[in-house]
Amino acid sequence: MIETFYLAWRYLAFHKLKTCILVTSVGLIVYLPIGLRVLVDQSSRQLTARAQATPLVIGAKGSQLELVLNTLYFRSDYPEVQPYQESIRVSDSRLAIPLYVRFHSQGHPIVGTTLEYFDFRALKVRSGRLPAVIGECVLGARVAAALQAQVGDHVISSPENLFDLAGVYPLKMRISGILEFSDSPDDDAIFVDLKTTWIIEGLGHGHQDLTAPEAASGILAREEDRIVANASVVQYSEITQDNMDSFHFHGDLLDYPITAVIAVPHDQKSAAILQGRYLSSEGGAQIVRPSRVMEELLDTVLTVQNFVMAGAIVVGMATLATVTLVFLLSLRLRRREMETLFKIGGGRLNVAAVMASEMVAVLVLGTVLAGGLTLLTSQLGSLVIRTLVRM
Amino acid sequence: MSPNQMKKRLELWAALAIIGLLAACQQAASPEAGDTLRQQGSTKLQIYVVNYPLQYFAQRIGGDQVRVEFPVPSGLDPALFSPNPEIVSAYQGADLILLNGADYAEWVSRATLPGSKMINTSQPFQDEYILEKAVTHSHGPEGDHSHGQIAFTTWLDFTLALKQARQVFQALATARPEGEPIWRQRFEDLERDLLELDATLNRAVTDTRPILGSHPVYQYLARRYQINLRSVHFEPGEYPDERSWRELKQLLEQHPAKWMLWEDQPLEKTVATLEQLGVRSLVFNPCGNTPKQGDFLDVMHSNVNNLGKVFGQNLSH
Repeated sequence: MIETFYLAWRYLAFHKLKTCILVTSVGLIVYLPIGLRVLVDQSSRQLTARAQATPLVIGAKGSQLELVLNTLYFRSDYPEVQPYQESIRVSDSRLAIPLYVRFHSQGHPIVGTTLEYFDFRALKVRSGRLPAVIGECVLGARVAAALQAQVGDHVISSPENLFDLAGVYPLKMRISGILEFSDSPDDDAIFVDLKTTWIIEGLGHGHQDLTAPEAASGILAREEDRIVANASVVQYSEITQDNMDSFHFHGDLLDYPITAVIAVPHDQKSAAILQGRYLSSEGGAQIVRPSRVMEELLDTVLTVQNFVMAGAIVVGMATLATVTLVFLLSLRLRRREMETLFKIGGGRLNVAAVMASEMVAVLVLGTVLAGGLTLLTSQLGSLVIRTLVRM
Repeated sequence: MSPNQMKKRLELWAALAIIGLLAACQQAASPEAGDTLRQQGSTKLQIYVVNYPLQYFAQRIGGDQVRVEFPVPSGLDPALFSPNPEIVSAYQGADLILLNGADYAEWVSRATLPGSKMINTSQPFQDEYILEKAVTHSHGPEGDHSHGQIAFTTWLDFTLALKQARQVFQALATARPEGEPIWRQRFEDLERDLLELDATLNRAVTDTRPILGSHPVYQYLARRYQINLRSVHFEPGEYPDERSWRELKQLLEQHPAKWMLWEDQPLEKTVATLEQLGVRSLVFNPCGNTPKQGDFLDVMHSNVNNLGKVFGQNLSH
């Protein structure tokens, strides 16, 4: 038996190029469907892990996918806004985390939220601290690396529209801390207090004290308890310890905009009650389960995967047929070699065993190659996916 | 030793090792029940507050199961205190943050604090807030808006102070249900003290003789106990300017008060000038910050006693 394998191995080793081509072909054919399956499974797990960790999201009625992508991955255009009051309404018996994801700074999303978000996502501070006051921000690990920023530096919010000069003012924000790497979309975001995003939008601002003498040039009219100022009154584009007390908001904060509320029910019963409240509601809000939305998205992806798998199987069968043809043709070419084996005492069975061993060896080596590629895919595939997704 | 004997000895050692391992695992998996409770009980509930009355209520109710922090330096008015980010960071780490509400401590609206830990102790009586005259200004397209002022010394109405104390008790009981029985007992003791103060003051104010307040901080006191009080803007540590004295004289023509309530002991010169106008001074300390002597109840008893003099009553505690 060992002699049979020896002869087969020596033949394959002598014809290196042919052997490599055959092993590579078999390896790729075996690897293609398996590797694709591994890659898709990893992608699904990555995409759904964050969705599964987020029980419920409440937002304005509209595209559920847009709401989930904006809330969980800080991508896509921001959805229709809803009033902050929605967050208060939800918080009676469960954790409710408001989010306002609309603005950016040098391409990085600015996420306005509350401190509970960091506990919910188990985000830890690597250096510095979480924001303590309006005008401060904490950077995700990748943002800090991309901007080469440190605690104490500043980032400036980007204007939404270069042609809307009277719209959103850029706000200069001090970096109070940098988060630890979490291998999630949080690494690519800039986190601020919810009120800071409202200031970016212009719903809150700080300006000179209109009752002070220095602001006299900015006063149009002054009555007993009413002051009318003109546009020259200085509004602050950076919040500092000196001017922070001047910052204020107009109107009722409950009417201020947010893009979503992440609801974390205490138990199944409160989750069901909350969902029922929105199913029967005729208001402008909807409640979605992110895991279900992502499953529907992935079902579409998996449908495409099935077509790709079918194609790969067809190609695999064709390749296998080609490999078989190559072997059969090589048998014809090796007739003189087989005659030599017969003449030196090799029986028909022994010769057939040598030929079969060659084929088995190629198949085994191809399978090992496929196994190695699959292992590599399982280790590095997630990194490749994340890089491609970020691009 | 024969191979059989060696084999048997090895089996015996193996059995003993397995038994020992199982026993160790059992011990690690089920610590003494008392350990868990003792661990919970030994961790004090950390509470941060924005003024001294809340600190008093929390400490009085929570006892040694709580650690109450009030980081406002003595001598400063907590309502106007603006903490630096490091102090705000300390508030973030609290188990509970007790707020007065009624726009007290405006810095809270500009700080990043965990909403789930914040307790607005005056929320149950928001509809009873007293709105002061506001300054309105307008700029830009938004039009008029006012920076209205809500009177915030809610605790000077002892029935409202009781409601705030009840909110404190409920917050503690929600955070640590196992402490509820003893906290309820302490709250009820405090309730008796506050109701006694309320009753005493109700008895003391017998008529609507005009009284002055040195500063607009007695709104809830005046409303609850039906005190005919109007306020000026005098500071205890500053001698009022000419304009202030002029305004006081004009006010006295319509509101001929014989007494002025002060937040703290005024300057002797100010007292003398007031007496020339026929107005005597007494201290009614709102006690927003930690008193130099005594505690909240001591200060309030002293206040009530002082106010009793206005109406000719001896209310010594």
